[in-house]
Amino acid sequence: MINKIKNNIYVLVLIKLALLFAIVFLVDFSVGHLLRYLYFSQQSGNLYRTTYSLEKTKSNLLIFGSSTANHEYSPKIFENRLHISSYNTGRDGTSIFYQYAILKGVLKRYSPKMIVLNFDLDEFKKNPASYDRISTLLPYYKNHPEIRSIINMKSSEERIKLCSRIYPFNSMLFTILVGNTEFNKERRKDFQGFVPLKKVFDRELDTGYYPEEALDVNKIRIYKSFIWDCIHSNVKLYIVCSPFYHELKNTPNSVILGEKIAHENNIRFFNFLNDTSLTNHPSYFADMNHLNYEGAEVFSNKLIDTLMTNEEDDQP
Amino acid sequence: MIFTSFNFLIFFPLVIIIYFILPERWRWKFLLISSGYFYINIKPIYAILLLLVILTTYIFTRLIDGTDSPGRKKTFLVIDIILTLLPLFFFKYYNFVNDATFNLLETAHLRWPLPEISWLLPIGISYYTFMALGYSIDVYNEEIPAEKNFGIVALFLSFFPLVLSGPIERAPNMLPQFKGKLIFNYYKLVKGLQWILWGYFMKLVVANRVGMYVNAIFNNINEHNGKSLFVATLLYPIQVYADLGGYSLIAIGCAKVMGIDVMQNFNRPFFATSMSDFWRRWHISLISWLTDYVYMPLAFNFRRFKIWGIVIALMITFILSGLWHGANLTFIVWGTMQGIFLSIEALTNKKKKAFVRKYNLLQKGWYLFTCSVFTYLLFAFSEIFGGASESVTAGFLTIKKIFTDFRGDVWYENPSMIIITSISILILFVVEFKAEYYKGQFSFFGNRSVAVRFLSYAFLIIMILLIGVLDGGQFIYFQF
Repeated sequence: MINKIKNNIYVLVLIKLALLFAIVFLVDFSVGHLLRYLYFSQQSGNLYRTTYSLEKTKSNLLIFGSSTANHEYSPKIFENRLHISSYNTGRDGTSIFYQYAILKGVLKRYSPKMIVLNFDLDEFKKNPASYDRISTLLPYYKNHPEIRSIINMKSSEERIKLCSRIYPFNSMLFTILVGNTEFNKERRKDFQGFVPLKKVFDRELDTGYYPEEALDVNKIRIYKSFIWDCIHSNVKLYIVCSPFYHELKNTPNSVILGEKIAHENNIRFFNFLNDTSLTNHPSYFADMNHLNYEGAEVFSNKLIDTLMTNEEDDQP
Repeated sequence: MIFTSFNFLIFFPLVIIIYFILPERWRWKFLLISSGYFYINIKPIYAILLLLVILTTYIFTRLIDGTDSPGRKKTFLVIDIILTLLPLFFFKYYNFVNDATFNLLETAHLRWPLPEISWLLPIGISYYTFMALGYSIDVYNEEIPAEKNFGIVALFLSFFPLVLSGPIERAPNMLPQFKGKLIFNYYKLVKGLQWILWGYFMKLVVANRVGMYVNAIFNNINEHNGKSLFVATLLYPIQVYADLGGYSLIAIGCAKVMGIDVMQNFNRPFFATSMSDFWRRWHISLISWLTDYVYMPLAFNFRRFKIWGIVIALMITFILSGLWHGANLTFIVWGTMQGIFLSIEALTNKKKKAFVRKYNLLQKGWYLFTCSVFTYLLFAFSEIFGGASESVTAGFLTIKKIFTDFRGDVWYENPSMIIITSISILILFVVEFKAEYYKGQFSFFGNRSVAVRFLSYAFLIIMILLIGVLDGGQFIYFQF
């Protein structure tokens, strides 16, 4: 029998390939499980904050958005002035896909009283990287069926790729390991999700036109879903476009459309893009897109003033 | 469909299974169908261009071969070359020539604008055009007879492992293989799979990972200091090597699995001890093509100028090489730099050899190491104009900042990025170092123990899954 197999080269190749697959499967399974365990036992860092936002937060005011949200909205100030528990779910490099997934995870557990969604000036821009970055949600595919439809937007093969246990944690190895250490808590501290930036931007204010961008219909669709889900769950939603250190002579087409959709759904849309009380102070900015710690405090207070004024206006 | 796409991981095993199930006489036909499907899958409209090049090549090689008149042979070859180059010129160089002409005329206050073309460059056009030209010239030089079977010519120019990014193969090597027996060979299958695996590691783990850093720096030259630009400059050759080298290895491995031998494209270039040594190891298929069809005829024509004839031939060959890489002034600067480096070596070659022999330097490790570092630095700095910077001005700004802007620290996104990038580069260099200086020793893939071999394969697969950049990365050489 063994000689017969040895003589049949095709069978030998198949046996060797099967053996290789078995080894790879075993290693993948073991390493993947270890990574999963370590991933969900983190106590600090970006990845931990996603888990916290999706699975643990119970705050009544949640801030959603990308890096602009994460670095510009101080939950402590919202708590002190509005007397409402707050958490910042913003994460660097994410788009409306990520934010909607977090919202779905939150709404599955409870309905917060208020949500502030930060709207980036290129929010609807067609960008393949936005789909690639959905990978940040891959570790949650297994236990969160509510976000699977969003993850599947990454590619049609995602379900097959997820047969690998390591794949959801691709390129996260060292971040996960560091996230399990004590020193990471102090390394880049967050304050209820808010990560302040310390840099100061030392540039003159430029002026110019924002380029016309091709828009992504999927992003627009998900943005509408975000609004509808908030309305259906009786969550008070505010959409905010935070300041940009550039004197724009036109409004980006994403912002025009985002504002239009918000108004159609009776949602307040506040545009601080060219707010001179902020853009006239370079010391408030860390870079062109982000406010620093000082700027975030000023902006958070200014936003709360605006929200309170609007609340008063809305009252009969 | 590119090699790193998920679709290819389904496509290739399917092709292999059907290929070996089919009777031998059907195999090349099946490869032709598969190659057609592979290319059409990328962008169907561009398959028409490929077909036109195949038709032109087939018809004119038959005409060249079918006539005894040297004059007619030459006429057919010239028409063939013009027709074959036409799509390449139109898609790749039209805008460049148009802009250059417009700017030149404008200096004489003449305005004669022609419309710009905004179509994407058909993938692989630079590669299959050169393969077609090489075949036609070989037939003209009577190196090989014109192939009568249209399908074989079509397969040669559209063979799916090579059509996107080479190696730029030659008809005398490929045509006999396609016409001969395409039989199952266990040794070739294993070797091919090993190369594919290592190619994926180079591309996904090293190139894409290093590329993330390099792109972040070179896309924002104004924002970064000299130290960061210097690090990116040093890393860029590694990115390009792992990118094209890895991709070539996947291509060569795919062909090998099917029993087809394709020429080597890279041979551990970073261990080269001079620029001429480097160019014998880097993008071998392109350089050997240029040597045979451009440099040699030029050097022969300029032989009356002795050593200066070689210098002129080198300069023209490498400026053409630059233009092949991209229709941009930066690539002309890049090609000129390579030409200058090689010319200086050619002019000082005799004295250098005598000096090396006198002090027996080739036996001294420190000398070889210094030469390798110097060669690497020369190439790395020339690569600032070879794809790293988007304009000549940006290239010079990069160099200026490297030597004058010492503010701040080297930029990095996070420590994890440094660790993963360093690990990937270290693995690549250790493997290359072993292959260069300890050939046949401490082999993992070639180990006699099945356990060591299989664990090595599994290790690489796990590394790809663990630290490979699996999406978002674009293959750099597609733009050429």
